[in-house]
Amino acid sequence: MTAEAKEARRGRILPFTISWRSVPWWAVILAIVGIFVGWSVLTSQAYLDALSFIVDGVKLTLQVTIISYLIGLVVGLIFGLMRVSDNPIFYAFSTLYVEVMRGVPLLVIILYMGFVVTPRLRQATGGQIDLQGLPAAILAIAICYGAYMAEVYRGGIESIEHGQMEAARSLGMNYMQAMRHVVLPQAIRRILPPLGNNLISMLKDSSLISVIALNDLLQTGRLYVSRTYRAFEGYNSVALLYLTMTLFLSLVVRIVERKAAIE
Amino acid sequence: MNSEPIITIENVYKSFGHVKAVVDVSMEVYPGEVVVIIGPSGGGKSTLLRCINKLETIDRGRIVVDGYSISETKNINKVRAEIGMVFQLFNLFPHLTALENITLAQRVVRKRGEKEAKRVAHEQLEKVGIGEKWDSYPSQLSGGQQQRVAIARALAMDPKIMLFDEPTSALDPEMIKGVLDVMLDLAEEGMTMVVVSHEMGFVRAAADRVALLDEGSVVEVTTPEKLFAAPEQDRTKQFLSQILH
Repeated sequence: MTAEAKEARRGRILPFTISWRSVPWWAVILAIVGIFVGWSVLTSQAYLDALSFIVDGVKLTLQVTIISYLIGLVVGLIFGLMRVSDNPIFYAFSTLYVEVMRGVPLLVIILYMGFVVTPRLRQATGGQIDLQGLPAAILAIAICYGAYMAEVYRGGIESIEHGQMEAARSLGMNYMQAMRHVVLPQAIRRILPPLGNNLISMLKDSSLISVIALNDLLQTGRLYVSRTYRAFEGYNSVALLYLTMTLFLSLVVRIVERKAAIE
Repeated sequence: MNSEPIITIENVYKSFGHVKAVVDVSMEVYPGEVVVIIGPSGGGKSTLLRCINKLETIDRGRIVVDGYSISETKNINKVRAEIGMVFQLFNLFPHLTALENITLAQRVVRKRGEKEAKRVAHEQLEKVGIGEKWDSYPSQLSGGQQQRVAIARALAMDPKIMLFDEPTSALDPEMIKGVLDVMLDLAEEGMTMVVVSHEMGFVRAAADRVALLDEGSVVEVTTPEKLFAAPEQDRTKQFLSQILH
């Protein structure tokens, strides 16, 4: 490719700048609140204590969110492809999975994974496979969100005009080649917004793993409150940390969406 | 024409639910021949064309292309690679540039290297007259240019047969000629073509035979000269009087 063509290609992607007009009103309000909160936190020993204790939980929350998101993306893709498959067995199996996982609350799946599947699996394999703790939590969230993501993938694939698949097949590509090179690249661009929202929901829903005694952000906050009886500072700090992370993520999601939308 | 037919269609039936799209059609196409299928909309023209490369599966009958029975062959993809198809709405891949549209199937299906695929793609784009547009995305091209990229994409696979499904009916009037010129060149080079189209100029200039399809059946197969001078069937006359104002 010539340098000129490269330039033209680069030109299609918006430069990363934020003009004042594109800043939404809620961001302004949040910024003002943020400054107040930041000021009161920095000048108050009680908040500094709470935050420095609770911030340890952020690491586990992020770890669980990111790993289960990556697994969920793959699980969702596989089941999404099965959902649009002509093969009746694939279709029936994936539909069953999606309906069951979406019909059971995530909290129940986490408890089930932690207190039913994990001990049974450990017993059955003589301790060979032990999901105790983190693995159980990650798997529970990943398989639950995998079902939601499968439906997102399915919607994306079905939104691509049938002519695309026909054109690819008429050139001699097999089904999977046409899917991989023609349909999926277009579908994924369209589903980036819902996939991004899934990441943000997952971050928030990861707080549910505190029920199987993992020291994530929420659990650490509860620990702080039970030690110091400072519920106000404790839960305020927890909420503030979640909010900071979700706001940061939604900013990232927006940037990615914008870049992908340029065609 | 004394060689074997390259496409043989024998007593083919195709229905969609209760709608009979193709009813007992038999037809042969010989190598190098240009056959144009005309007829009223809903007459089964496109369906018949799509049966040839198995975009539609036939209910009954037999279609043999280049020695392969379309409904029985184990490797339909191999046969499809020999049959280029051009669609009414172009169906270019919008996420790829013109060049990438043309190289994709060459690399994936024909297993050509990137360099070779690009060379062929540039060559085909030159041939259809838009060599300078290789780095444009489909959305940056006019309808006529898009259709020419689509033709180049099919030709890059070195097909033995080209199928055209109303290639000009979605184009603005001033775009039609460019596409028809490309098709005329192809016909002159001796490409075997089956074309669904109402472009009577193309029929006159390039068609070896014309088939009129109505309600799924072949009404008449004739030469362009006879078609315009003295069609045999009343149905053909009636159809012609409606499209030739």
